[in-house]
Amino acid sequence: MDIQFEGEHLLAGQIGHLAIYTAFTFSILAAAGFFISSFTKDTEGQRSWRHFARAAFFIHGAGVIAIIATLYIIIQNHWFEYYYAWEHSSLSLPLNYLLACFWEGQEGSFLLWMFWNLILGTAVIFIVRESQSRVLSVFSVVQVFLASMLLGLYFFEYKIGSNPFALLRDEMQNAPIFQRADYLSFIQDGNGLNPLLQNYWMVIHPPVLFLGVASTLIPFSFAMSGLMNRDFSSWTRSVLPWSLFSCAVLGTGIMMGGAWAYESLTFGGYWAWDPVENASLVPWLILIAGVHTNLVFNKTGRALRTTYIFYFLSFILVLYSTFLTRSGILGDTSVHAFTDLGMSGQLLIYMASLSIPAMVMLVIFWKKIPSVRQDENIWSREFWVFIGSLVFLISAIQITFTTSIPVWNKIFGTNWAPPVDNVSHYNIFQIPVAVAILLLSASALYLKFKNSDLKTFRDRMVVNAILALLVTIISAYFGEITAPENIALLFAAIFGVIANLSYITIVLRGKFILSGAAVAHFGFALMLLGILISSARKDTISYNNMKINYGKEFTAEQQKTNLLLYKNAPVQLREYTVTYIGDSAAPPNYYYKVIYEIFDSSTGKLKDKFTLLPNAQINPKMGLIASPDTRHYWSRDLYTHVTSVPDKSKTEIKAEPKFSDHTMKIGDTVFTTNSYAILEDLHRITESEKVKIEANDLAVQADLMVKTLDGVIYEVKPVYYIRDYRGYFYDDMLTELGLTFRVTQIIPDSHAIVLSIAEQKPEKDFIVLTAIVFPFINFVWLGALITVAGFLISMVRLWQKKKVVKKKAELVSQS
Amino acid sequence: MNLTLRVLILNFTFLDVTLCLFRDSMKKIHIVGLIFIAFAIGAIITLASDYSQYETFSGAKGETKKDFEVVGFLSKSKEMYYDPQKDPNYFTFYMKDKDSVECKVILFNSMPQDFQRSEQIVVTGRMRGDDFEAQKILMKCPSKYKQDEVVLSKPQAKS
Repeated sequence: MDIQFEGEHLLAGQIGHLAIYTAFTFSILAAAGFFISSFTKDTEGQRSWRHFARAAFFIHGAGVIAIIATLYIIIQNHWFEYYYAWEHSSLSLPLNYLLACFWEGQEGSFLLWMFWNLILGTAVIFIVRESQSRVLSVFSVVQVFLASMLLGLYFFEYKIGSNPFALLRDEMQNAPIFQRADYLSFIQDGNGLNPLLQNYWMVIHPPVLFLGVASTLIPFSFAMSGLMNRDFSSWTRSVLPWSLFSCAVLGTGIMMGGAWAYESLTFGGYWAWDPVENASLVPWLILIAGVHTNLVFNKTGRALRTTYIFYFLSFILVLYSTFLTRSGILGDTSVHAFTDLGMSGQLLIYMASLSIPAMVMLVIFWKKIPSVRQDENIWSREFWVFIGSLVFLISAIQITFTTSIPVWNKIFGTNWAPPVDNVSHYNIFQIPVAVAILLLSASALYLKFKNSDLKTFRDRMVVNAILALLVTIISAYFGEITAPENIALLFAAIFGVIANLSYITIVLRGKFILSGAAVAHFGFALMLLGILISSARKDTISYNNMKINYGKEFTAEQQKTNLLLYKNAPVQLREYTVTYIGDSAAPPNYYYKVIYEIFDSSTGKLKDKFTLLPNAQINPKMGLIASPDTRHYWSRDLYTHVTSVPDKSKTEIKAEPKFSDHTMKIGDTVFTTNSYAILEDLHRITESEKVKIEANDLAVQADLMVKTLDGVIYEVKPVYYIRDYRGYFYDDMLTELGLTFRVTQIIPDSHAIVLSIAEQKPEKDFIVLTAIVFPFINFVWLGALITVAGFLISMVRLWQKKKVVKKKAELVSQS
Repeated sequence: MNLTLRVLILNFTFLDVTLCLFRDSMKKIHIVGLIFIAFAIGAIITLASDYSQYETFSGAKGETKKDFEVVGFLSKSKEMYYDPQKDPNYFTFYMKDKDSVECKVILFNSMPQDFQRSEQIVVTGRMRGDDFEAQKILMKCPSKYKQDEVVLSKPQAKS
């Protein structure tokens, strides 16, 4: 049966399909070309194959760009005949979130990854000379696999990839609606972007994170290139700036994820040791270890094999985390849900095809990779840097091991559950790790490569340690940090801050360009200091004011996280006087206006006053989606979000209220149980916000001032209007007081009205709120930024050095 | 603790044996590496005791000192109770575990977001009497990311 469907835009999809096949085919050609060029002996052959492969790579790139452009056009035009547009976007979505829909789906995120690989690959073509073909052959292989994720072809019953240009009617063939030629006119709107993701972070976080993820391929391919031509060590110099770039970007991406969680999700923090977070953290840890051993090799000729292992492992772990997060295997253990597109097999093949050759080659050439036989000096920088790298490795192993529980369950048929107390399970291991890293990163710079003067080292360290110890004692005492592991971490972090600061100022004498490592170490210490204080001294101030005792087994924390705030009823939270004064709607968001006031305890004067607007989306599909609002001080954050609000749709369905009638003139007063109302004015209106008044209507509005016995004043404005010789009324309600006001009749002769008032049990407006104080959380963000800056300083420094070396070489060759 | 001790003894035996066998050919860095490996294995095995098994309600019964993780589904027919005006930190619902045993679960917190739509729930806590008191709750809502439900509406008359 052939149906001619109406209103479809099939051309875009055809272009898209063509672009996918182009990108896929030419990535294969590029990979083949670069491989042949790498293994061709004569320079002429190398050159011509390289030119061929580059051309193929650029055509592949054009294909990728065309896929992205076509998909974007489809999403932007809301062509819901395409499954991807229907699934991820909707008509009401603001333009800036259209980009977010683009990478909400798996296909889009694979595209993003491919796009960054393309940019990085192009950069390699223009910057790297010696090992270009070999590096790009690895790049092209990766592009082949990524492009295959978009194919959506069937190969003997097995589906390869998921095509972003699939049509809605093909994806859901069984629905009877798709038998109609005009089915499209029935599909008015798409599914829309998940409200949790409708956030500016969703626009900026994925591109940065994926750039970081994609860039881990560079050290991997450089290391591969070293094994491919058996020139095992010359690549290590040119790779280092790239690796530092990757550390900086991936680190930024991870921290942005934390900032997103903190700023607009409600897990009450920036890091939860969630499997998806861990999956991005682990490759970064390993990459950092790799950068350090790489540096050791460049300076001393040691640790080359370890560098290979780390660089390989970091990209393999990227592949592994792709598998974890995209195959649906984490379903039970992660708050991030991911769809299983039935590609887990393909993802496994992708992972195996890159990691197995790397590992096999490493084993084959293990003996040939140069290493230094001689034992290293204990008082040398390389020894301790190497140990630091091992600590990173151990940290990564533990995180990976626990995160992989669902994988172990699949492989061994076990039924393990992740640790009941997830956070303390990781912390108990990672706090000692952090202490070790901090101590090493504070002292290793004071040692010199190969051999150091022990006395100078000892003197400087002692001064730093004594200073740090003093600061630690003072801050632990006043900051009430009591747990021994926290005090150890506090000391290590303060030691790190002090030692690196004094290294920058005293040893380097402020020479900025040389300070990359010290700046990164300083930032890292500052970040951990912030993490420690903000989590150890995290203070939930929204205690439970109901005084309900749940029994002794429950700690105070568990009982006291949510607080009920009635409208206009101030509640004291520590130094804050907190008042909820009402909500305002800007669909789909509702903003709950909460005023915080701080009064001076002795004089009673108002010291500080601010308003927070924690908001929530009342989403018909998902219910309440809350977003926090935070007051930032330099030394702490006050973080609040609503956890429950009254369901206003329910309160409207109620028994018809009983009205009592009162004949009133202007200035008259009428009493209700808890308030009185004065009729202030009666006047004709031609327009009103509440009710639509037409040209021939006669509408009268009564302005009433209602004052409660507590002295709170409200205004109500019921309307009476005559349309086509019939009288209508529009009630005004005061839900807080349970009062409904209605003008039932107008008596023109005596300038009076009949006002009907109904009293019901007042429907109190309220919100349930959680408020947490995070002390010194700004250190976390500042520290992370400084760490990234440190990476970038080192990167620029290496780049400059390389240029100088090149210029010298040119001068030598000229003369 | 017992386990930690056993792991430590195992580790030192491992270290001892390797050091005896390879004493001559070893470098400092190798020894350091071995100590690290031993430490890592030890720590991981020790920490693996944190892992629990997914339990059922009947399995969690009788043991009140330890927390369990129970996987199950929300009983949508039974009542969910949350009245923030009475107590904002008290939420109860009924849940069926994998053996289809139904149990009342009490959560001393607000009602989680998007609770009604959850398809699978993992609760962490312990039994008290006939009720399960949960400290932590994790929900799986595939609908968040995927909802194959075409919303149809009549085409609007073109004006």
